Amino acid sequence: MLGAVICYIIGRKNKTARNCTACFITVLEFAAAVFICTEGAVFRAESLFGLGLEFRSGGLRGILIVIAAFVWLMTTLFSNEYFKSYRNRNRYYFFMLLTLGATMGVFMSADFYTTLIFFEIMSFTSWVLVMHDETADAVYAGMTYLTVAIIGGLITLVGMFFLYHSAGTLNFEELSRFMASVPDRKEYYIYGIMVLVGFGAKAGAFPLHIWLPQAHPVAPAPASAILSCVLTKTGIFGVLALSTQVFFYDANWGMLILAIGTITMLLGAVLAVFSINLKRTLACSSLSQIGFILVGIGMQGLLGEHNSIASGGTILHIVNHSVIKMTLFLCAGAVYMNLHELNLNKIRGWGRDKPLLKVIFLWGLLGIGGIPLWGGYISKTLLHESIVEYIAHLTQYGHPTVLFNMIEWVFLISGGLTLAYMTKLFVAVFVEKNPYGEVKSHNAGPYMDNLSAAVLIVCAVLISVFGLMPHAVMDNIAYAARGFMNSPQPEHAVHYFAAVNLKGAVISVAIGAFVYFVIIRGFLMVSDEAGSRVYIDAWPEWANLEKRVYRPLILNVLPSIGKKAASAMNATVQVDRERIGRITDRGKKAVSAVDVSVYVDEWPKWLNIEKIVYRPVLLKILPVLGGWAAAVMNLSFEEVFKLLSRFAFRAVEIFSGLIENILLALLVGSVIAIRFFKSIFDYAMQLVLYFFFNYEDISYDGKRQFRKDAYFSRFSVDKHGEEQGARENLSISLMLFGVGVVLALIYLII
Amino acid sequence: MGDYVLLFPVFFPILCAPFMPLLKKQRIREVIVLLILFVEAAAIFYLAFGVDRKVEVWRISGLLSITFANDGLSRIFSCFISAIWFLAAIFSMEYMKHENNIERFFLFYLASLGVLIGISYAANFMTMYLFYEFMTLMTVPLVLHAETHDAIAAGLKYLGYSIFGAGLGLIGFFFLCIYGNTTEFTAGGVLNPLTIVGHEGFLRVVYLGMMIGFGCKAGMYPLHAWLPTAHPVAPAPASAVLSGIITKCGVLAIIRTTYYLFGVDFISGTWVQYVILALAISTIFMGSMLAYKEKLLKKRLAYSTISQVSYVLFGVFLMTPQAFCGALLQVVAHAIAKNALFLSAGAVIYKTGHTYVNELKGIGKQMPIVMACFTIASLSLVGIPPTGGFISKWHLATGALESPAGLVLPVIGIAVLIISALLTAGYLLTIVADAYFPGKDFDYSKLEKKEPNAFMLVPLVILSAGVVAVGMFPSGLIELFSSIAGDIF
Repeated sequence: MLGAVICYIIGRKNKTARNCTACFITVLEFAAAVFICTEGAVFRAESLFGLGLEFRSGGLRGILIVIAAFVWLMTTLFSNEYFKSYRNRNRYYFFMLLTLGATMGVFMSADFYTTLIFFEIMSFTSWVLVMHDETADAVYAGMTYLTVAIIGGLITLVGMFFLYHSAGTLNFEELSRFMASVPDRKEYYIYGIMVLVGFGAKAGAFPLHIWLPQAHPVAPAPASAILSCVLTKTGIFGVLALSTQVFFYDANWGMLILAIGTITMLLGAVLAVFSINLKRTLACSSLSQIGFILVGIGMQGLLGEHNSIASGGTILHIVNHSVIKMTLFLCAGAVYMNLHELNLNKIRGWGRDKPLLKVIFLWGLLGIGGIPLWGGYISKTLLHESIVEYIAHLTQYGHPTVLFNMIEWVFLISGGLTLAYMTKLFVAVFVEKNPYGEVKSHNAGPYMDNLSAAVLIVCAVLISVFGLMPHAVMDNIAYAARGFMNSPQPEHAVHYFAAVNLKGAVISVAIGAFVYFVIIRGFLMVSDEAGSRVYIDAWPEWANLEKRVYRPLILNVLPSIGKKAASAMNATVQVDRERIGRITDRGKKAVSAVDVSVYVDEWPKWLNIEKIVYRPVLLKILPVLGGWAAAVMNLSFEEVFKLLSRFAFRAVEIFSGLIENILLALLVGSVIAIRFFKSIFDYAMQLVLYFFFNYEDISYDGKRQFRKDAYFSRFSVDKHGEEQGARENLSISLMLFGVGVVLALIYLII
Repeated sequence: MGDYVLLFPVFFPILCAPFMPLLKKQRIREVIVLLILFVEAAAIFYLAFGVDRKVEVWRISGLLSITFANDGLSRIFSCFISAIWFLAAIFSMEYMKHENNIERFFLFYLASLGVLIGISYAANFMTMYLFYEFMTLMTVPLVLHAETHDAIAAGLKYLGYSIFGAGLGLIGFFFLCIYGNTTEFTAGGVLNPLTIVGHEGFLRVVYLGMMIGFGCKAGMYPLHAWLPTAHPVAPAPASAVLSGIITKCGVLAIIRTTYYLFGVDFISGTWVQYVILALAISTIFMGSMLAYKEKLLKKRLAYSTISQVSYVLFGVFLMTPQAFCGALLQVVAHAIAKNALFLSAGAVIYKTGHTYVNELKGIGKQMPIVMACFTIASLSLVGIPPTGGFISKWHLATGALESPAGLVLPVIGIAVLIISALLTAGYLLTIVADAYFPGKDFDYSKLEKKEPNAFMLVPLVILSAGVVAVGMFPSGLIELFSSIAGDIF
């Protein structure tokens, strides 16, 4: 049943590629089809791809499918307006739908083999989406994305080889049964980590997150929404499958995922605070939210049988993040659509007189920031609860809880940072006045058509629904996913709005407010005319200190930053103090008499592992070393052979001039060459046999008797011309010679 | 008597070949060549689905005879050889228009097909060796077709390497005559367990020599150097079949020698297996690395062939049924994909004259279909589903883990497989990226549609569809290969 749906979609793809309008129908049809079959169905295609594919639906898969279909539907509707002025729209729709099919395949897969196949297909089709704009940045980001995807995919593949070799199956259920029977899991951890690499890379987990902040900003907004909302979730799905099916209730594995998740969570949030590009901030935010989800998955492993809260939190955060981030990215799309600019300094104040967009963005902000009554609060509360629960467990058994207290604080701080960077965006785009004067839209008329507005409204409403009715909506979702997660019923219903839970939110909000007002307003906004802004004045020493710390790495301000920050990665220009001064001076002239503060991207350059470590290693060191080795191998034998052939083909020199003659000579020469090599070899063999091998008389076939000097007889024509072996030699050589002559004749005739 | 029908596909094209110079009119020649190839392919497919046949044509002396038979391996090789030959011929109809001496090209083109089928159908070493030498001689004119200085030099190099390699193979034959019961290809090997006692070490040296000798045609280190020289100078259809098919005949010779003459038991787990595995693995790495560094498109593809064919050899030398199955899958997948790549390169050269990879910026906008085929074939070489390359690599790697050759070499092999896949992505997908995403500053006004005509497009599209088909529905092939593997293990 599901297979039919998928085939149907694949069948539709080619038609839709040429026709933009048809794709709407496809997506609608598809969404409808998915909604129908969310309940447990199994589809096996035994013969496909050798090992056979297996699909399932229902439970967690059902939820993911519905989300994916929903996101696709919304973004496709939105693309209609967004892509009006774009080239290559057919290509975009074609690959978007291919990606849709592949994503569905990943979410519905019931064994790792199927997951992997669709995962790889998805990587490649989405690559085209990333590169769609074809700008230098997009190509750069696209290649990074592709490289990460390929390396990750291949390492995952290797992990699966081993897993398949040891377990004999890749089916989720059989694997979990198999793993339950394995006492010593050491080697399986290695396999598991290998498999994790690919999925983690796609999810954006540290340290393979590098593609994410590059790829999302450069892709068209609907594509970034898809990338961020759904594609990262395919990675999460892989990690989930690993954690809940293979390493089920495994504390070590949980710890690993938890560590990765914590780092990713904090890193993403910090990066986002530093970013001054609207979509880059959102992308880093995705990174951070993925970290939250990974923390949930990790906790689930650690909590073992008590993991219902953690698993509920994980799945709910997946759902929430998808919906919220889609809303935000589409808002960003609306901005970009009108301004063709994402730099916060350039787009400042654009949204001041656009209440609808403002409210929707605010909705997204509140949702992702974890404010009570909005969607994100519920899932973050659950995740927080799970950490608290684990700390309680540890205390109960008298284990030290320092580490987990730290994780809890990291969790809260990340939550606070989330709020801070979102506020930064909101204030910049929708509240502040633009000091450079009013920003003009490129398009005349309304900034958004009705369809796009409707899409945004639907998304925003959903966020509220999730937040306002946690028990009705969220509990059911969590319940549906429970089967896949192997988690039991929760011991008690969670009171989302209890004082204890609200406390976490309040702490986060407080941290967020602090970060926003102190750090963002204070350090990350720099005045282009010294002392003109309150924020800078209030903490001048601090600002200077910061600058001194980052001194050689700091980046700069001012009109030039607009251009530079378009490339989020390249935005950080290494300048020393003098240069800052010079540029500032120039900037003063450029915008004389305007006194403004601008957002700066202060993320230090040396922390960019992608540039400093990955790229050089991949592009420079490996090829140089490898190329050197390969070249040596390549040439070593060739030189020897040249010497040999110069010797063997002396005959060539006899003839000269016509090609045909050369060929003839060669043919003759080659026959001679065989004879030559062979006779040398024969003599060598005779000696070898004679001296080193204790050669005895052989009875061959029971018919013929070979004498002790049989070797001589078989190989030398001169002594025993009538011997069998000699005749064999002769006949072959003669035959070759004949062929040569005939060929040469044919050549001459032509 | 019915078995004599086996001779038809071998000698039919060879007999037809000499008449090519008589066909001076281009139209007539095209029709006749395609007709011959079609009849040939039809006959081969008919035979492939028929019963086992065996025919002895000529007994030279006691031990030596020219004998043909079609077993499982013959069927596979003959089928894909004839099918790809047919497609490449369609392509060359258009391509050869900008070359001279078209009659001569088709003469040798047809003759080599017959010879290749002869190799596939060969039932004993003598027959195989005979046609193996013929193969070299018939394909040399394809390489030096352009008659430029480079082409002739490359042709000579090709000839030298091939003859030397075949000579090494021949030496082993003499020993097989002594130590074997027969030289007929027999699943499981022909060595006489009584006579080889005490000479195993020596025989393994002989085996190593044969592997290096036949490895020459398959582009295995150390005799690989002819490949990157010969392929770029040959006309595109010729380099396509050289790379896709001729190298596979080297593989066939290696399979025949390993599994049908020496036998798995004699080789597996011994030092000689480690040596040849190491050779294959280092060739995989070397080929990919050199391809990554190479800027000339066809030469890059030639290096890629060196690497990819060694995947096959890696599978063959692992000596497990699973890996053997993977090797044969790789034979088929690579033959199809590499032909698609070379033909795409040919189409680009034919239409634009560009031969260097950095000239291909934006070519995807001019020739979208050609480059789409190029992309699909590239994905197969990298090993991305749903293409054939993925399936073959899956089998190779899972087979490697079961190998009797310890754990170290197979694991290194898998690592190299992965590194090589990465390099393959590096040298092929960058071309694709440049072709389709030339960048914002690309001058769209200079663009013109340069899509070649149907003669070129149809084979390309069929080949790339074939790549995907092998990837999507490999079950039939896998069953077939497994049954062959079942015989020889």
